[in-house]
Amino acid sequence: MMNAGVSASPAAVPARPWLTERRRSRIAAYLFISPFFILFAVFGVYPIFFTFYLSMYKWNGLGDMKFVGLKNFELVLTDPTFWTSFFNTFLMGGMGTIPQLILALILAVALNSAFIRGTKFLRAVYFLPNITSIVAVTIIFSGIFANKGIANYVVSLVGLGPYAWTVQYWPVKIAVAIMVIWRWTGYNAIIFLAGLQSIPGDLYEAARIDGANRRQLFLHITVPLLKPFILFTTLISTIGSMQLFTEPYVFLSQGGTGSTREEGVTMVIYLYSEAFKNSFFGTAAATAVILFVFTIMFSLLNTWVSRRMGGEA
Amino acid sequence: MSLFKKWGAAGAALLLAASVTACSGGGAPASAPAKNGGDAKPGTTTDKPADKPTDKPVELVFWSLGTNGYEKLAEEYKTVKPNVTIKIQNTADQTAHHNNMMTALTAGKGAPDIFMLEIAFLEKFLEAKDKFNNLNELGADKIKGNYLDWKWKQASSPDGKFQLGLPTDVGPTVVYYRTDLIEKAGLPSKPDDFGKEIATWAKFAETANKYKEKTGKPFVDMPDLVFNGVRDQGNEIYYNDKDEFIGDKNAQVKKAYDFTVKGIKEGWVGKNQLWTPEWAKDTNDGGFAVMLAPAWMNGVIKGNAKDTSGKWMITQMPEGAGNWGGSFLTIPKESKNAKEAYEFISWLVGKESQLKSYVSNGLMPSIPAVYDDPKFKELKDQFFADQAISVEFAKATKSVKPIRYGKLHDATDAIVKESLRNVQLKGADPQAEWDNAIKKIKELNKRS
Repeated sequence: MMNAGVSASPAAVPARPWLTERRRSRIAAYLFISPFFILFAVFGVYPIFFTFYLSMYKWNGLGDMKFVGLKNFELVLTDPTFWTSFFNTFLMGGMGTIPQLILALILAVALNSAFIRGTKFLRAVYFLPNITSIVAVTIIFSGIFANKGIANYVVSLVGLGPYAWTVQYWPVKIAVAIMVIWRWTGYNAIIFLAGLQSIPGDLYEAARIDGANRRQLFLHITVPLLKPFILFTTLISTIGSMQLFTEPYVFLSQGGTGSTREEGVTMVIYLYSEAFKNSFFGTAAATAVILFVFTIMFSLLNTWVSRRMGGEA
Repeated sequence: MSLFKKWGAAGAALLLAASVTACSGGGAPASAPAKNGGDAKPGTTTDKPADKPTDKPVELVFWSLGTNGYEKLAEEYKTVKPNVTIKIQNTADQTAHHNNMMTALTAGKGAPDIFMLEIAFLEKFLEAKDKFNNLNELGADKIKGNYLDWKWKQASSPDGKFQLGLPTDVGPTVVYYRTDLIEKAGLPSKPDDFGKEIATWAKFAETANKYKEKTGKPFVDMPDLVFNGVRDQGNEIYYNDKDEFIGDKNAQVKKAYDFTVKGIKEGWVGKNQLWTPEWAKDTNDGGFAVMLAPAWMNGVIKGNAKDTSGKWMITQMPEGAGNWGGSFLTIPKESKNAKEAYEFISWLVGKESQLKSYVSNGLMPSIPAVYDDPKFKELKDQFFADQAISVEFAKATKSVKPIRYGKLHDATDAIVKESLRNVQLKGADPQAEWDNAIKKIKELNKRS
């Protein structure tokens, strides 16, 4: 501001210059935030609109694009494999998410209790699965779920199996769900732990004086006060589970054919194979649009449910 | 936005996945992802003035695939054409390699002067042949006769007028087998004798049953390779010249399917899956005695079954070989030095160079004249009980038929193999599985 007079009004020029100090600082501010918006426009907005555009064309990725209207949507929505992938996504999502959140909550409570030593160390350990390469992890799990792997040995101890974990309907889903659980439990536990630490200790003290036992403390103080955190993790996990890709893709693509078996096809894998395996970019884009609609619907449902739950509290 | 992050994630995942199962689509003998022997001097930086002042310095960018020893040869090319510098960018990741090329072609920018194209991806690119130089116009029609006919035709347009690429290596299929296990089962183990024992598929099944009875173990490793063995003996597989689906009417495909089902029911087909650690272990532990696989698989077997050196041998496939894998060198239209590029690649896949890349990296030559070279014929392999395995591979190339795969071959084949696996591991009804597979394939074909 101090230099304003000097730079804004060069002597003897009556008209105000266009670049006033105010404008200048505005432009500077926009320039400072522009990298994000430019990148977002190029890598975010443009692909989104291009996907909508592409979903109405037939294109093999190399040749000319041909307008086909809504044909792509018809092809995808009448394809039984797409619906298989739809149900797979939700089944595996549910099987992965629900136990994972429960486990995470239990882990967080245990971590938060005063009886455990080395909390910081354990916290780091819980988080490790989340930053490990999913592909590497999946390959290790593939060994565990091999025909003569550990998983079959373990189930044989209780007189079950052997299962073909990479082929049969439920075993495939269980195997994938276990990988998902393994990867995300620690992450959610950390979030829960943060939530637990925000609960004031005097609440527990007061309840204990009133004679509440540990179960009652957990159910009537911990869980209700943790509700915002539970809602958050649920929302994030369900949206994440709709985008399940790497685990089933790597786990089931090892047969040399490079394609994922029907039992483990998720919507994203379906989309991916349409585009990059079969070069049907139009139907792939249509699948992306459908997935987009599903995700929005699901998020709205989630928000609605959490509003209602939040209202009660 | 998150929807599109996933695309990135998908790409990244694929990169990783593909680099793990680097040779899943078959192809160059790329069993080892690393470049050969740390030769970190791919002849790029030599700035010495050209010997002939008239020749302007030319730099050719070459995207190569798999372990092939081309770095060394490119350096050697300096002595042939001092003004030409070859800049090699090598990757072991097939899928990424071809996707990058696809992106470059779509963008119309960034393609190399020379691109190595693997057979499994060839049809896709043949569709976009207007983006590549017709090598016939650069003189390829003159050297056509040097190469295996079927191999050459793989990269030609159906009328033969357009030539997309020059042949590098081939992947003829042979029978790899464990001599010690075969002997233990009371069967003749010398290549010729064992070859006679399994000369037809009927005899193959008979022998397999005998082996299974004696040892209680499966004869072959997995359904897929048995299926491939029979499948590749026809003149067509799933698609005809016009890329129309004929797999439901092709008797050869059904024969392959039925034969594999028979093997599964009789119990002589193992339950392995390609490229899994379990399969590798089974190879080493003698879980099966026979593997029907292409020439480049010998490197994979050596890697997987280190403890069994000297116990493997090779004989010919029942009723004739097929081919799995192999590459071509192409020159995109974008190249500004197509003539120089052609000169280089025709040298690189010439007789001398092919022999060198066979000796150094096991790339099976696509020029039959090489097969008579003593350096080729007399190459013995300790792992294969000092057998001259190159002779067996060379013999196998002769019965391979020129097959047009069609651009949906891989996706189609995966569906059929899924059915076979359902029959084996779920005990599903073979006919119902077959019908279901055909239905799915037809659904897939609605899109093209």
